[in-house]
Amino acid sequence: MTFFTSGFFWFIQGILITVIILAFQVWMEDKGVKMIWWKWFLWGLWILVAGFTIAFIFTSLGEGEPTAAVKGGIIFSLITITSGVGIWRLINKKK
Amino acid sequence: MDRRKFLKTSGAAGAVAGGVGLGFFGYEAGRDPDSYTGWKNREGGFQTFNRIKWAVEKPTYTKTGPSRRVDARTEVVFSRMGPLFRNWKEEEGTNSLPEYLRKFYETNPEVLELDLRVKNELFPKLRKDREKYGHKFILAEAWSDAMGAVWPKHSQEPPEIADFPEKKGQKQLKMRSPEKTSKLIKKIAHQLGSTLVGITKLNPDWVYSHPMRRRGIDTDKPFKVPEHWKYAIVVGVPMSWDPMFANPNYGTSHDAYAISRIIAVRLSTFIKQLGYAARPHTPGTEYDLMVPPILVDAGIGEQGRHSIVVTPELGSNFRPAIITTNIPLKPDKPIDFGVQDFCKTCKVCAEQCPSGSITKGNKVEIRGYKRYQFNAASCHNFWYSKLGNMGCRVCISVCPYTRKANWVHKAALDITAHDPTGLADKALTAMQKIFYPGPDPQEYFIPSLGGKNASYRKPPWWLKTEDFIDI
Repeated sequence: MTFFTSGFFWFIQGILITVIILAFQVWMEDKGVKMIWWKWFLWGLWILVAGFTIAFIFTSLGEGEPTAAVKGGIIFSLITITSGVGIWRLINKKK
Repeated sequence: MDRRKFLKTSGAAGAVAGGVGLGFFGYEAGRDPDSYTGWKNREGGFQTFNRIKWAVEKPTYTKTGPSRRVDARTEVVFSRMGPLFRNWKEEEGTNSLPEYLRKFYETNPEVLELDLRVKNELFPKLRKDREKYGHKFILAEAWSDAMGAVWPKHSQEPPEIADFPEKKGQKQLKMRSPEKTSKLIKKIAHQLGSTLVGITKLNPDWVYSHPMRRRGIDTDKPFKVPEHWKYAIVVGVPMSWDPMFANPNYGTSHDAYAISRIIAVRLSTFIKQLGYAARPHTPGTEYDLMVPPILVDAGIGEQGRHSIVVTPELGSNFRPAIITTNIPLKPDKPIDFGVQDFCKTCKVCAEQCPSGSITKGNKVEIRGYKRYQFNAASCHNFWYSKLGNMGCRVCISVCPYTRKANWVHKAALDITAHDPTGLADKALTAMQKIFYPGPDPQEYFIPSLGGKNASYRKPPWWLKTEDFIDI
């Protein structure tokens, strides 16, 4: 077990995600966008998709499956980008 | 910098750090030695799948009619090859063979053709290619021989003598309960190094009608199942993961065979010390029974399209041994975690099988049970159509269930086990074919047979002969 597969790594990730949530809220307030529950839900979902994509690519590389890393990377990145654009448009509506 | 700007900058930095961290996590999770299930310790921590949740009353095979026990002398390819090659005279044909073998080949002429092909066509080609390309596999073969070097001597006595404690007058100790004994036996099996352990009542249908030779049994007479073979204990370990993925030439069955064999002999000794009968049935050829259905009965896994048992923890990468015993035990229940449905649509093993020995069709009735057809003779032909270690094992390597225990593959297993619609099976099969493709099956053959000596994945660094030895 290394630092990145330890429980302490996930503790640090928890702190980082808390900071990201706070920063995102401030950023949206500055833009004049009100964050309500479903917007947070969609945003959280997108964070999971993006995180999955990154972790999948590097896990595949780590286990010696470069084809899975490249093909999975392309497919999941496209899903991440497309869903990101769609979700951003929904979240960014000011009314 | 004001507080709001600081928070926003921190958030942006946190997002970058979190993303990079996930990348490192993924890379480490992919290469983590802990994901090589079965090779960490001896404390039984690998039997991680919740079998109770997936337990069923009846095994996932179907009995369709009267059963017929297997005659190991003819229906097990390793048993018939020796007598065939020793006795075969071209001019006399099947008349040169012992009667039991003659009868078998006369009713199965296509099997005779395949078995003779090994001698007449494949051996000469293999010898020629070994001279030219064999050096590539020197380390792989040395590794295989090293793992197979320890081979406990098996008894030449019949079960009535060999299975019982050697000490004269030794009494059977009174065990407190079958539940407690099962718990004890499983713990001991794990301590001896077994990755998975399961217990079942022995179904006599799985015992050979005429067992293999050199087991202390008269193989010319129908074999009566001994009364003391009440239970079957399954033990076993996986083959080393990286060489296994480099099948058919770099992997070796011997590494896991040797360990399972030693565990089974040790566990038999432990049971005999308690005054009970125990008989190890061990790989490669020291069995008196068929192994896969016993694994299914004991809840170790389910039999897949390739005829090999698929386990939740190790996929198909499991090399078992069996101990038959009369010590009172509490049997485990069979499990159903979705393999039958998955195998219906997947067919990756059938598509990648170099010899085409695995059917792409539906299950058929064989000896009174419904199962997928498997051509052992053509499979065995391929063993002599490639270089490197004995055997093939490509179907084990390519099976989508045969994956290291990292978060990606554990999640996939959970999804297939929980999905009643079959959609996940189809999606994951498609992902398997796109993300983890193998070479064209023809490439697995030796060049003399139109191949390229290919393996499913590259060998691990420690089996690349050219990096260590000047040829």
